[in-house]
Amino acid sequence: MKRIEEFLTGRLWLRNFSPFPKEQVDQAISDGSVTVTPGILDGRQCARCLEKSVKKIIPFFCAACNTICYYCRHCIKMGRISSCTELITWALPSTIPPQSHSFRWNGSLTPLQERASQEVQKSLLQKNDHLVYAVCGAGKTELLFPPIYDALKNGLRVCIAAPRTDVVLELSPRLRTVFPNTIVHSLYGNSPEESGFASLVIATTHQLYRFKDAFDVMIVDEADAFPYSYDPALKRAVMKAKKKEAPIVYVSATPSDDLVKQVSNTSKIFQRFHGHPLPVPEFRSLWSYEKSFAKGKIPPKLAAWVDGKIAKGEPFLLFLPTIELIDQAIVLFQQKHPSIEAVHSKDEDRKGKVMKLRKKQIPGLLTTTILERGITIPNVQVAVVGADQPIFDAAALIQIAGRAGRSIDYPNGDVVFFHNGIVLQMDKAKKLIVSYNGGGVN
Amino acid sequence: MNCYLCDRDMPLQVSWRSIFFNELEEVVCSRCQSGFERMAGGCPICSTPGEGKCHDCCNWENAAYGGVIDSGKSLYRYNPTMKEFLHQYKFLKDAVLSEVFATVLKEELRSQKSVIVPIPMNEKKLKERTFSQVDRLLDSASVPYTHLLGKNEVGLGGKSKSERMALQDVFWWNGNPMPEKVLLFDDLYTTGSTMRMAAKVLKEKGVKEIKVLALIRA
Ligand SMILES: [Zn+2]
Ligand SMILES: [Zn+2]
Ligand SMILES: [Zn+2]
Ligand SMILES: [Zn+2]
Repeated sequence: MKRIEEFLTGRLWLRNFSPFPKEQVDQAISDGSVTVTPGILDGRQCARCLEKSVKKIIPFFCAACNTICYYCRHCIKMGRISSCTELITWALPSTIPPQSHSFRWNGSLTPLQERASQEVQKSLLQKNDHLVYAVCGAGKTELLFPPIYDALKNGLRVCIAAPRTDVVLELSPRLRTVFPNTIVHSLYGNSPEESGFASLVIATTHQLYRFKDAFDVMIVDEADAFPYSYDPALKRAVMKAKKKEAPIVYVSATPSDDLVKQVSNTSKIFQRFHGHPLPVPEFRSLWSYEKSFAKGKIPPKLAAWVDGKIAKGEPFLLFLPTIELIDQAIVLFQQKHPSIEAVHSKDEDRKGKVMKLRKKQIPGLLTTTILERGITIPNVQVAVVGADQPIFDAAALIQIAGRAGRSIDYPNGDVVFFHNGIVLQMDKAKKLIVSYNGGGVN
Repeated sequence: MNCYLCDRDMPLQVSWRSIFFNELEEVVCSRCQSGFERMAGGCPICSTPGEGKCHDCCNWENAAYGGVIDSGKSLYRYNPTMKEFLHQYKFLKDAVLSEVFATVLKEELRSQKSVIVPIPMNEKKLKERTFSQVDRLLDSASVPYTHLLGKNEVGLGGKSKSERMALQDVFWWNGNPMPEKVLLFDDLYTTGSTMRMAAKVLKEKGVKEIKVLALIRA
């Protein structure tokens, strides 16, 4: 029963897919320690991801209940929810004893980080939401360590939600090292099963669907990062996973105007931890690049840029607007250099390819916006092809530019926006970067 | 609408054909569509590439199951895109995915003279899966069919091929009248044992000609 309590506290889990024997679950339900809710709520809303659009909640004739059932396509990858499936959660007040935590970190914070760190801590004590608005490479994670430790010591359950698996994988080992006595769970698609009651959960925003009223402190890393900003379901997931009164700390390099307006407590850090300014993007025209690729030719200006990087042995990232264009272009780039690779969101070997670039085993990568965040490659050179395309909004462009110059040994690096006509979002991105370098916007 | 497989937005395509011929709406974007690989020619029963009957089919012909299938074909290869599709359709139970091959199946079976007989599921499996994936493929294509067989609960998984070949009585006749010509339809053709066993029962009950059609050849 202890294991069931540890597992199901704050969780919403498919009854038929629990890691416990059926008899134990049935017993816990009949004695009232576990409650059951239907998978699809009245009004045809998924109880797990709260989706209710008719495009995603689909009727079908169900042979299990011999009638029309509805199922949710939105969160189907986590095990299908339909009208006749049941979700279980722990129903009783927690009897889990408080854990002891320790904090092992011998780094130090810059004065700007230090101030932000204290401001976050203060907001959490007062149960206020807080926004950490900090440029790429400002050292956002480190400044969260002290407030997280403080919360853990007070017996609070803390969640760090990140938009993508890559970020969870990057954060997890760092936090496990810093909090060696804390039970930390890292949750992402197909993550290995972990035991015990985690006081600190690091999860992709998708995994939050499986929690309800669970957390006392919610930290949303890379708030407004794709796909988070485009998916209202994920915003709902954050609200559902935390306890009602629990404060949210948003951490972002590119917060939306709405977020800035909505959260009154804000800490701003417009300087990288190494003190060097952010590389400012350079605009270069690349007329009719799509036609050129379609004809099987890399536009000369782009070819020259790539050749230059290969010649100097500098790793490069080339961002393209669509997978289709990558499919066309990669063949041409591989004629230039056979080990140039391409990655996209569904690429299972994404991590491997980024590793190869980091180790300089390959000269460069073609990528969709999927790699815009969460990767640090020393001395990386960055270019965007079709920076005028709508997929590259100012936030995405700032994040992409933020890949360059992160390491203290190579604080500079090319950031080139190849375009077919300068658009507002490009201007906005450049102006913001320049303003950060000048001390920031207010 | 959004592509059923990659969820990207697809421009709505309304053509004169779709208005006049009541064509089915495409539910998959062209990029996902291009990930599926059609089969052509090959073995006259299962479409395995090569000259004449494939190795598997020849083995069947020399065993007790010889002659039960007259001809047949498979439409797609079991490549990674198809594997992913089938995983989402059958394992994740994403029932709407039956529409992905509706146009192709409709085209393939439009002028079929034989009675179309889907490979059935046993009751227990059906309750678990909540829908019959084979029937649904035909339903989505608006292709009429008749069930002539029932299926016993036998797990084929884990059995060796010779054991599979020896399996008796997996299928039974459900008592519906037997037509002269039957086209047996299944989603996935792996070793051929399912089709062979089903065809044998039908031939024993008096069906004269049996064709087989599989959406996918593994
Ligand atoms: Zn759902
Ligand atoms: Zn049902
Ligand atoms: Zn697609
Ligand atoms: Zn064959």
